[in-house]
Amino acid sequence: MRVNLEKVPTHIRGLDDILEGGLPRGRTTVINGGAGSGKTLLAMEFLYRGALAGEPGIFISFEESTEQLRQNAAALGWDLPALEQENRLFLLDGRIKSDTLISGKFSLKGLLAIAAGKSREMGAKRIVIDALEVALRLFDEPRQVRSEIHLLNDWLQQAGLSVILTVRPPSRGGVSIYEDFFESMGDCVIVMDARVADQISTRRLRVVKYRGSGFGRNEYPYVITNNGIHTAPISTVGLRHKPLGEKITTGIPRLDEVLDGGYRRASCVLFAGMPGTGKTILCSTFVAAACSRGERTLYISFEESEAALVENVLSAGVALRPHIESGHLRLLASFPEAMGAEEHYSRALEAIEELSPAHVVVDAISACERMGGKQAAFEYLMRLLNACKERGITVLLVNQTIRKDDFSEISGIGISSMVDTVVRLTYKEDYGEITRLLHILKSRGSRHSNQKREYVITDDAIQIRDLYFGEGEVLTGAARQVQEAKDLAEAQRLDYDIQTKELELKQLHLIREQMNSGFAARTAIRGGKAFRRRPDDSGGER
Amino acid sequence: MKPNKAQSAQEKSGAPPLYRLRLFIAGDEPNSAQTKVVLTRLCDKRLRGRCEIQIVDVFEDYQAAIDYGVSVVPALIVESPPPVRTIVGSLSDEDKALAALGLAKEGGHER
Repeated sequence: MRVNLEKVPTHIRGLDDILEGGLPRGRTTVINGGAGSGKTLLAMEFLYRGALAGEPGIFISFEESTEQLRQNAAALGWDLPALEQENRLFLLDGRIKSDTLISGKFSLKGLLAIAAGKSREMGAKRIVIDALEVALRLFDEPRQVRSEIHLLNDWLQQAGLSVILTVRPPSRGGVSIYEDFFESMGDCVIVMDARVADQISTRRLRVVKYRGSGFGRNEYPYVITNNGIHTAPISTVGLRHKPLGEKITTGIPRLDEVLDGGYRRASCVLFAGMPGTGKTILCSTFVAAACSRGERTLYISFEESEAALVENVLSAGVALRPHIESGHLRLLASFPEAMGAEEHYSRALEAIEELSPAHVVVDAISACERMGGKQAAFEYLMRLLNACKERGITVLLVNQTIRKDDFSEISGIGISSMVDTVVRLTYKEDYGEITRLLHILKSRGSRHSNQKREYVITDDAIQIRDLYFGEGEVLTGAARQVQEAKDLAEAQRLDYDIQTKELELKQLHLIREQMNSGFAARTAIRGGKAFRRRPDDSGGER
Repeated sequence: MKPNKAQSAQEKSGAPPLYRLRLFIAGDEPNSAQTKVVLTRLCDKRLRGRCEIQIVDVFEDYQAAIDYGVSVVPALIVESPPPVRTIVGSLSDEDKALAALGLAKEGGHER
């Protein structure tokens, strides 16, 4: 069965990767999705892009009028009437009029006759049957339903069209008697759903079956953009990454020394530190240097507006404005909660495709959780990093940590495996004076100094001071190699710590929740007395 | 409103109006064959032959099915007298079929 399975590309961005080439040609794909999941849109995009690529198609709708379909498509910039006029697309309203009387037995043969006739006439290669379960509701007996499905299936099989059949799952956990039939009809079965988490809606897609073919088995987030559906498979992360490139200056000569020449092109550099440690300034110094060399940079800001950011770094002597004006630097500023992670991602990707930058900055990844939780942030960053790594783009991530010594925060939101270099910024207070310290925690594919370096933020850039001897000592040669082995062990220990701390945190949250509800209950019982306790009142409490 | 007046005048005079019917079938499949039989009988017995039936085989003329919005067969479209109605199915439920044609059932108080 695995041999010679021909595929038909959907031309939907990202979907063909998940499907390892596309849908099975000449066979049936069942899309199972609830209201608002976008299954009708996906099916229409399959036909629309197919028609543009020279494969005419037929859309049979049991739920929406053809006029509604045209309008919905027009909102995405798809001109269906033009394709209809050229006989590359045919929309058929298969709905039964509500005032139709029913007397005795009937079948969907009328529809099949139309589909057969029309597909011959226009040389159709694709067909969509949208909301089949609506049509099947007309039939009372399960036996009739079964025979209609067989009728349809037989015709589809001999017609040799590439089919998408969409069905809605039974509402509220009910069991649909058709479900097994649908599943068995499809050589490929895709489930789509829309859910709302933290007031931000996420849509996900999953291939549950694909006869004779491999496929991505994860749940893939997708977004309905202003020109169609867009999905990006996370599982393909790492497959097409460009190797790390040559060293490029950080913009600060002494930091280049610490990093044995600078950051590596196409690598991912993470800047972790508490507020006020100068993460944004450090990034911007690099950006300004890159733009001066004529390299384009996209700066994604979740913390500050363009004006505020430019102003802020200018006070440290880093001028971004000229680079924005010359077109080398583009700022993409928005609040994380303004839209869902998928939309943030597709906006970033659009900007990357338009600008084709050499470098991308995300300031700050710690804000990404506000897109709809940890998972959303993880997905956004993974996909963005993946897109950049595939294009050989250097990525600078800013991560704001809250406490001084929380290692779990430094690695970022589960993306540590994608990070090549970690620059940690801290400060300590001695003798009434604040000392800022910079420390390279890791630098993949490059030797680097393990020492902490003191730095100051002046109004003329960041200045790295001479070697700092407060902790550790100068390491060279074999001693450094030993240190590297130690570092590796330390990294493993940290990973373990991260996991345990996450667990602890969950438990603490739980305990606090319980305490809160307990407190609320006690306050409710006592009423106003809670705040004016007499000595005898507290007796039972302690 | 005029046709209605004419129609009621006809009814008063006892002569049933002329029915224009379009029947969509799918080849010679059983449901279609049965419908033809039932419809012919209704026409002869109840409409006293005052009807014109045009039979359309969707496999031969799918364009007509598109034009009339027929997705299930058999489908009977009553084009006249107004309003235009659609009855789908083999007409085995004759009461419903009669009601759709605007006729009372056998032995009813139809004059």
